[in-house]
Amino acid sequence: MQNVKTNLKTSDKLDAKIPAGPIQEKWSNHKNTIRLVNPNNKRKHTVIVVGTGLAGASAAASLAELGYNVKAFCIQDSARRAHSIAAQGGINAAKNYPNDGDSVWRLFYDTVKGGDYRAREANVYRLAEVSNAIIDQCVAQGVPFAREYGGLLSNRSFGGAQLSRTFYARGQTGQQLLLGAYSALSKEVHSGKVEMFAREEMLDLVVIDGKAKGIITRNLVNGKINRHAADAVLLCTGGYGNVYYLSTNAKNSNATAAWRCYKRGAMFGNPSFTQIHPTCIPVSGEYQSKLTLMSESLRNDGRVWVPEKPGDKRAPNDIPENERDYFLERRYPSFGNLVPRDVASRNAKYVCDDGKGVGESGLAVYLDFRDAIKRDGENTIREKYGNLFDMYHKITDENPYKVPMRIFPAVHYTMGGLWVDYNLMSNVPGLFVLGEANFSDHGANRLGASALMQGLADGYFVIPYTLGDYIAGERPEPVSTDHEAFKAVEHENIERIDKLLKSNGTKTVLDYHRHLGKLMWDHVGMSRNKEGLEKAIKEIAALKEDFWENVYVPGEQSTYNKYLEYAFRVVDFMELGELMARDALVREESCGGHFREEYQTEEGEALRDDENFAHVTAWEFAGENKVPERHIENLEFENVKLTQRSYK
Amino acid sequence: MSSEKMKLTLRVWKQKDGASKGRFENYVLEDANPHMSFLEMLDHLNEKLMKEKKEPIEFDHDCREGICGSCNLMINGIAHGPQQKTAACQLHMRHFKDGDLITIEPWRATAFPIIKDLVVNRYALDRIMAAGGYVSVGTNSAPDANAIPIKKRDADLAMDFATCIGCGACVAACPNASASLFTGAKIAQFSLLPQGGPERKRRVVNMVDQMEKEGFGDCSNYAECEAVCPVGISIDAIARMRREYMGAMKG
Amino acid sequence: MPSLLHALQTTIGRKILTGITGIFLTLFLVVHLAGNFSLFSSNPEAFNAYTEFLHSLGTLLYLVEIILVIVFLLHAYIGISIWLRKRKARPENYSVYKTSGEPSRQTIASRTMAITGVVILVFTIVHLFTFKWGPGIAEGYVTYIDGQEVRDLKRLVNDIFQNEFYVIGYTAVMILIGFHLRHGIWSSMQSLGAMSPKLSPVIYTIGGLIALALAVGFLFVPIWIYITGGV
Ligand SMILES: Cc1cc2nc3c(=O)[nH]c(=O)nc-3n(C[C@H](O)[C@H](O)[C@H](O)COP(=O)(O)OP(=O)(O)OC[C@H]3O[C@@H](n4cnc5c(N)ncnc54)[C@H](O)[C@@H]3O)c2cc1C
Ligand code: HEM
Ligand code: SF4
Ligand code: FES
Repeated sequence: MQNVKTNLKTSDKLDAKIPAGPIQEKWSNHKNTIRLVNPNNKRKHTVIVVGTGLAGASAAASLAELGYNVKAFCIQDSARRAHSIAAQGGINAAKNYPNDGDSVWRLFYDTVKGGDYRAREANVYRLAEVSNAIIDQCVAQGVPFAREYGGLLSNRSFGGAQLSRTFYARGQTGQQLLLGAYSALSKEVHSGKVEMFAREEMLDLVVIDGKAKGIITRNLVNGKINRHAADAVLLCTGGYGNVYYLSTNAKNSNATAAWRCYKRGAMFGNPSFTQIHPTCIPVSGEYQSKLTLMSESLRNDGRVWVPEKPGDKRAPNDIPENERDYFLERRYPSFGNLVPRDVASRNAKYVCDDGKGVGESGLAVYLDFRDAIKRDGENTIREKYGNLFDMYHKITDENPYKVPMRIFPAVHYTMGGLWVDYNLMSNVPGLFVLGEANFSDHGANRLGASALMQGLADGYFVIPYTLGDYIAGERPEPVSTDHEAFKAVEHENIERIDKLLKSNGTKTVLDYHRHLGKLMWDHVGMSRNKEGLEKAIKEIAALKEDFWENVYVPGEQSTYNKYLEYAFRVVDFMELGELMARDALVREESCGGHFREEYQTEEGEALRDDENFAHVTAWEFAGENKVPERHIENLEFENVKLTQRSYK
Repeated sequence: MSSEKMKLTLRVWKQKDGASKGRFENYVLEDANPHMSFLEMLDHLNEKLMKEKKEPIEFDHDCREGICGSCNLMINGIAHGPQQKTAACQLHMRHFKDGDLITIEPWRATAFPIIKDLVVNRYALDRIMAAGGYVSVGTNSAPDANAIPIKKRDADLAMDFATCIGCGACVAACPNASASLFTGAKIAQFSLLPQGGPERKRRVVNMVDQMEKEGFGDCSNYAECEAVCPVGISIDAIARMRREYMGAMKG
Repeated sequence: MPSLLHALQTTIGRKILTGITGIFLTLFLVVHLAGNFSLFSSNPEAFNAYTEFLHSLGTLLYLVEIILVIVFLLHAYIGISIWLRKRKARPENYSVYKTSGEPSRQTIASRTMAITGVVILVFTIVHLFTFKWGPGIAEGYVTYIDGQEVRDLKRLVNDIFQNEFYVIGYTAVMILIGFHLRHGIWSSMQSLGAMSPKLSPVIYTIGGLIALALAVGFLFVPIWIYITGGV
């Protein structure tokens, strides 16, 4: 077909190790030729799994079943509380149970296209290929997916997909999938193959002779700094949306683990690729601590509008039909309210920029169910969305059956993450990255219901093979935690904690996080431009400096101390925020969630530059306060034809 | 709307660590706002305290949308506070009045030792799950997902029980500190699904034994657990657990 | 699988036992009450005939009595042990504690099961001393049925309930038994797993009615006797 090349060359340091052969056969060929570890030898190897979300819990359980000794870590008091628990909508698979023509190929195609052609074909194909096994696995674990009266599994269409390929468990799909993976993990904890370290945060990676050999952790209950050695480290630590301060991510979601690995040599891929979800409950005041997502399935029946006149402060139900602007339906007659997330979000921003935003802050648009209720009756709507309506009611004290909901976009997911090859290994041998923490499968925009799929694909179906390949090839010898490298890294972290606790300034960590969040939202958010990005880089640098001089961190090291943990994370958020701005700045095109105002069509749509930017940008740490080094991995599209996305 | 102010007196349990003795401390917050969530109100108080170089209050939280089960506050004597079917993080200050005195305590149970202030250790719940809260299916050994049809009614009911967020409010509110609702919910879920069939006897026996070992109390059928459960798990779960147990006793 | 002995000692086994023994004792109360009401029979000797019939059962009666005692003590023992375990499971109480309300079944009745239980225990002992091992034929409480000399328990009952302290005490205890059963009857069904969300409110209501009926029924006798001077 078509072979797009950029004028930049793929860096020598980035070997994606994509297996040869036709795309349909790559994964099975790879599995057939991969090196295997003798079952008796597996028990001689220890693997560290950081994070117990979908990716981590499924990986830890599967590896333990194979016989590896697994040490699993998480921040929360239980593995089951990982952020994956909050996913609502569903998980995709190419089962084609509804017989609407779905296939592995279509799921692959849609995912590459949805990602605006910035993902690696081979990885995405494999994802689609194993998607069906995920559903089988979860059902066998007792995950109570929604079913039809005939007793078979029910599917719905999600996120504007033309097919019904999304499996779901009410509005709590992530919860049920995570509880499934957690139960598999619990089984291995019980059998003794997994040693579970809850409330134990990874602070740093230990690299010996260029290979990942262990981690340094802090026990969050008593502050003890601990060393853990292993033959491989799996990072499953989730996304970094909290760089923006306000996001739909859980409060503990952070970038620290990934960022420390970056600083130890792992490259960061496409850090600026962030997904902003259109249907979140708007901010209600300065004190707001996080944003709540309302499943985008709401857009199947709700109509998005704003008053036509800027500054119209009338109550929504008093605004007559002809004075309403159904802006998505107007601009995108064929997709209407179901345009992809990035498009819906950006358009909401535009109308608010024009002063048509509603609510007290003017930063919201209406999502109106009046017509749907008129058409289908309140009961039907209640059946479909009852729990979401209740949640909205609880938070806002407004009844969405009577007045339109107010929604606004919010940061939701980060497509960027540590760079990994086809085997999910970073450029640091022995360091694997799974789930949202890696950059791999979603390109510049993730489709709904595919993050859960990716997390579980990585953990259940990819890593058990690829880790074996590494171990069999490497035959790692155990290292002692008394090794100099462990001591050195531990020492650095203790010093850092001391420094934080000694800084007796006047501003709180939250002050900095809020400030950072605002900079990021304003300049590295839904719509970006050169000037803003340069400004962000400068201001974040200044903020960082100010932080170390004027921050106040309370309490002590030897007890539970949430604000110390928080300080640690915000430092990393600031550094990562700066890199995100840098990445957004060099990507002189618009694609998916990355919208550069300089690069748009006449109608204001994203304008991709496949000639120069059909590549992954991977950043290599070059030292404190130095500009990081930029590497390129060119993406080759041999199976998918690059087209301009159009939803008109 | 966000300009309304509420003055609150907060009586909060402070305890340095598991080994220390705790006590109540009073805080006055002049400018709470009815639209704040309960946890945002505590954030706000903490910010003020830290600006005065005072020690903030530690409390557990993560998702802040009622699903992760981290938050665990006894608010005015009720687990998760006055609004039913609502986790503390989803509770908003509009359910309180200007001038209110609010007492905030940690979950109290032998099986939930205090870590600091309002933060407790709930590993006991994980150990109950590890004792049998799973279907022993290895990765990659599952049949096609549609191979076994399941009645919609059973699947729906299983889902009702599966929505437990593992917060431990049922234990906290129970006059006996029993973990029966938590344990029963998982057992009930699997008892309704064919996948849970082969291990059902072992499961209920082992989980019940573990529950006992952890030092939780017995269930006297107060049903207080159901009333405070943020997802409204019914004590039907406990009845089902008992039926499962009797089934297991039959051998 | 667990041995039966182990199973019955677990937290679920204990509840199954309280449930079964509780139901058994409740049934006993029903029979007991029916016996009491023979006091009001048109046949003036019906009550004494009834008690005499029981005695005539001989070993069978002993057997039933022994079972009753075992069941009673077992019930009391487990009940109290459940209550004691609670103090281990939560040594430090909340400084403020409230029920969240419906669907909670935390009521005065349920919170005082151990207290009402202990009162029942003490009462039962007193009750046995008063009637079972109280004055008999030797003390002159004698009557004749079909020419046979039998103990006149009916007169003893009539005499005892002339004493207002007795009546008041007895009444109070019966109210407490009512409370015990108000929670107890529903609770025993839940303990045995014989419950569903639909059934629960129904049984709770029926349980309440039975508790009320039993309490009022038992109360009726002493108060009637006190007011009317005897039956
Ligand atoms: C509100 C919401 C709804 C969503 N809905 C959907 C949906 O419907 N469908 C879909 O496909 N996707 C959805 N997503 C996205 C999806 O939930 C996430 O991308 C996915 O769950 C991430 O899983 P994970 O395993 O990679 O990481 P996480 O679940 O985030 O887990 C991270 C783990 O790492 C641990 N950790 C982090 N840092 C450290 C450290 N330093 N030391 C030790 N442990 C650490 C944490 O404790 C945690 O256990 C949603 C996301 C949000 C926010
Ligand atoms: C006529 C005598 C009695 C009757 C009819 C009776 C009946 C019942 C019933 C039906 C229950 C409910 C069982 C369950 O929850 O499964 C119960 C519970 C209980 N009974 Fe009794 N009981 C009697 C005597 C006693 C005595 C003498 C004691 C103690 C000294 C006692 C203490 C308790 C306690 C503590 C409970 C609650 C158990 C728990 O918390 O789970 N009862 N009783
Ligand atoms: S049963 Fe309800 S109260 Fe108990 S842990 Fe589960 S969600 Fe919390
Ligand atoms: S913080 Fe997650 S449930 Fe409350």
